[in-house]
Amino acid sequence: MTDPTRQAVLSVRDLDVVMHGNGQASRVVRKLCFDLQAGEVLALVGESGCGKSKTAEAIMGLIPQRSGTVSAARIELAGSTIHGLPEAAMRRIRGREISMVFQEPLTALDPVFTCGSQLAVLFRRHRGQGRSEARASSERMLQQVGFADVKRVMRSYPHQLSGGMRQRVIVAMAMACRPQVLIADEPTTALDVTTQAQVLQKLTRLGRDAGTAILLITHDLGIVAQYCDRALVMHDGRIVEESDIGQLFSAPVSDYTRELVAAAQGVSL
Amino acid sequence: MKAAPLLQVENLYVRHPVRGQYLEAVQDVSFEIPEAGIVALVGESGSGKTTLAQAILRLQPAASGQVKLNGENLLAMSGPRLREARRSIQAVFQDPFSSLSPRRTVLQTLTEPLLHFRVAGRRKCEQMAAEALQAVDMDESYLQRYPHELSGGQRQRVALARGLVTEPALIIADEPLSALDVPVQARIVELIRSLRKERKIAFLVVSHDLSVVRRLADHVAVMYMGRIVEYGPAQQVLAQAAHPYTQALLKAVALPDPKQPPPRVLDGEPPSPLTPPSGCVFHKRCRDALERCRHQQPPERSVSGSESRPSQHRVKCHLWDD
Amino acid sequence: MTSMTRVWSQLSRDRAGRIGLIIVMFFLLLAVGAWIGLVGQGWSATEGGRWEPANAEHWFGTNILGQDIFQRSVYSVRTAFEIGFVVALCSTLLGAFLGAIAGWYSNRWVDDGVLWLKGVLDSIPFYLFVAAVAFALQGNPWAMHLAMIATFWTTTGRLVRAEVMKIKSSEFILSARAIGLPDRLILWRHVLPNTSHILLVQATIAFVAAIKTEVILSFLGLGVQDGVSWGLMLAESTQEVLAGHFNNFIAASAMLFALLMGFNLLADAMQDALDPRQSGL
Repeated sequence: MTDPTRQAVLSVRDLDVVMHGNGQASRVVRKLCFDLQAGEVLALVGESGCGKSKTAEAIMGLIPQRSGTVSAARIELAGSTIHGLPEAAMRRIRGREISMVFQEPLTALDPVFTCGSQLAVLFRRHRGQGRSEARASSERMLQQVGFADVKRVMRSYPHQLSGGMRQRVIVAMAMACRPQVLIADEPTTALDVTTQAQVLQKLTRLGRDAGTAILLITHDLGIVAQYCDRALVMHDGRIVEESDIGQLFSAPVSDYTRELVAAAQGVSL
Repeated sequence: MKAAPLLQVENLYVRHPVRGQYLEAVQDVSFEIPEAGIVALVGESGSGKTTLAQAILRLQPAASGQVKLNGENLLAMSGPRLREARRSIQAVFQDPFSSLSPRRTVLQTLTEPLLHFRVAGRRKCEQMAAEALQAVDMDESYLQRYPHELSGGQRQRVALARGLVTEPALIIADEPLSALDVPVQARIVELIRSLRKERKIAFLVVSHDLSVVRRLADHVAVMYMGRIVEYGPAQQVLAQAAHPYTQALLKAVALPDPKQPPPRVLDGEPPSPLTPPSGCVFHKRCRDALERCRHQQPPERSVSGSESRPSQHRVKCHLWDD
Repeated sequence: MTSMTRVWSQLSRDRAGRIGLIIVMFFLLLAVGAWIGLVGQGWSATEGGRWEPANAEHWFGTNILGQDIFQRSVYSVRTAFEIGFVVALCSTLLGAFLGAIAGWYSNRWVDDGVLWLKGVLDSIPFYLFVAAVAFALQGNPWAMHLAMIATFWTTTGRLVRAEVMKIKSSEFILSARAIGLPDRLILWRHVLPNTSHILLVQATIAFVAAIKTEVILSFLGLGVQDGVSWGLMLAESTQEVLAGHFNNFIAASAMLFALLMGFNLLADAMQDALDPRQSGL
């Protein structure tokens, strides 16, 4: 369970998200509470539609006013409130203190700029580096995510790279500023098995080295079992179970978790 | 005496012209599908599995080779013969969001192939459509709905119903499970199994997900860079994978049990199809590569067979060549 | 939801769109009324005195020939709708057809041919071309319509071509090809219906553009020949305004403005309703 002596780098209390679609209001996240500890990999597991993505978007302030209403007693990053911050302030935090990696690598990268320039821009803007220093930092970052031919990737446009390579570039971008928190929303769902292993290994390793806490959102219990320290099981907008990985699989508390685990083990290799 | 296979692919090549060069999407592929058999075609992106499936359906032209349906070459057919053959081989695609025509009702979608093949009059076709829906566990009320009114799982079932409405001998399903939730997947797996048992429909399941192999397939063909590198009975290939790529695939899977060994990463990238490496196409990423692998393409060899009882398990790898 | 239901539900939320719809409906009723002979029939009668001010007999007064301006204004609604309708329908259909075959057979000679034609037509200054065609076909009552159709189709064609190229690789199209459906059937049954959102919006835009173009053509003397339109009225009024008589000018401009405004509001609402990204299609 949560270790009270460890500092919670992200703290959420009573998060509610109500989406307005086509004139109807639906509550997709209900009174969510959790803490993300520094340096850990926390899984947010659930089936599609349970509200896990909306939780992440709400924390990042990415839900537009007219699409949904976000309310919370507390959303704190390392002790300071980020809930309700004006857009300008959120923009400063995004990418630097708290990063996000999305499922679809195609739309996360700008097609008209090379990968190298998109990565370098982050170093220049958030770390105040000059042009050649930023380029060097970018190349180092690309090496850390496992690229052999770094120079080629720097020169390439997103569409020239495969899906797995693009996702690794995005991981590099997300980790460039050594954020305190990284939220990865189904980062490997669209990828092949071998690429998934590559991306997740690099992601968790980089996170551990930089001390970044990772919130890994997924529906895949295999990923939860092999890459995460703790897990939050979400169902219908609520957290139904919170535990260490070992306990989640050997002695789950809620029936829903039990069913999920049984189903996953039934269909796995 | 073994029964003649329903579908026999022989030395199939598919090429795409790209900027003056030719991209070998499918290279020298041969395999077979027995009647009422389920064969899984497994590979990652760029392996050529979708191209192969589309070439069999004649959605893409083959450069050379044959695809024999009950002994007759499908690729050489035309006119009414081709139409007959098309009725026997149906396709089910993967994306439940775009596999059904958005402005057509379920009824229209299901009756379209029947009317096109002139199977029967309109009334009878509508009846067959309703029966096909029943076979996938959906009732008649769905006939008047539009695709956007259905969930992903329901759309996939309608796509499957459309595949079997003409009573084909073979259904080619491209990633039938990947866009679905786990519980829904289980129902589709059950459905495919029962269709095979009750209606003797054979399936060619194209997938990147190895668990599909375990759950569904009798036989599996593993593809890498346009070639089949390993082929054999599903259980045997899973338990004793012969080709290093198959082994790497199996080891990379994250199993939902923390006590199981962690995934092993296969480093590197698949080479660009425009500049394939010399010799064995996998040698640069292979842990056990020999000197030979860099220069010679590996021959096909049998795995754990004997002279008198040749095994169905085949592999293209120098490690098995001695 | 089909396109129509989407538009309807959008209109129930969009006040500006509703106003637009009401205005257009009102004018449509006038047009139909004029067409079946209920109103505006006295547009050519030269009974009144010259330049009479607005009075009980002639609600908007009369023009230089003693014709009733009100009658002329109302009859012009019919003319406007007739031109708008014919041009919108024909140019949209032509654009849909050519755009669809260009998109389907993209990068082959059919596509190249259509694109070449489009390029040629687009590079000719618009009014020059329309005027030239109208002039060449002078005497033919359809000259103006043909000229407009020949140029308006290109925008629709371009949009449809792009959409068809996108749709072409969808899986439901693959399914249709896999059973061996012939191309023309696939285009008719599966491709074109999925461009209806584009066609609907383009038709409304073409309608408006046609009316506006007619005004310009009338100034050039190439517009409506047998009948009356706001363009003709405006052209006439240029002389009258110099003599201090504004009724003609005001009547024609005001009605033109009102109809175009109504259509624009409606078209905006329709575009919002049918934008595939905004709603959940």
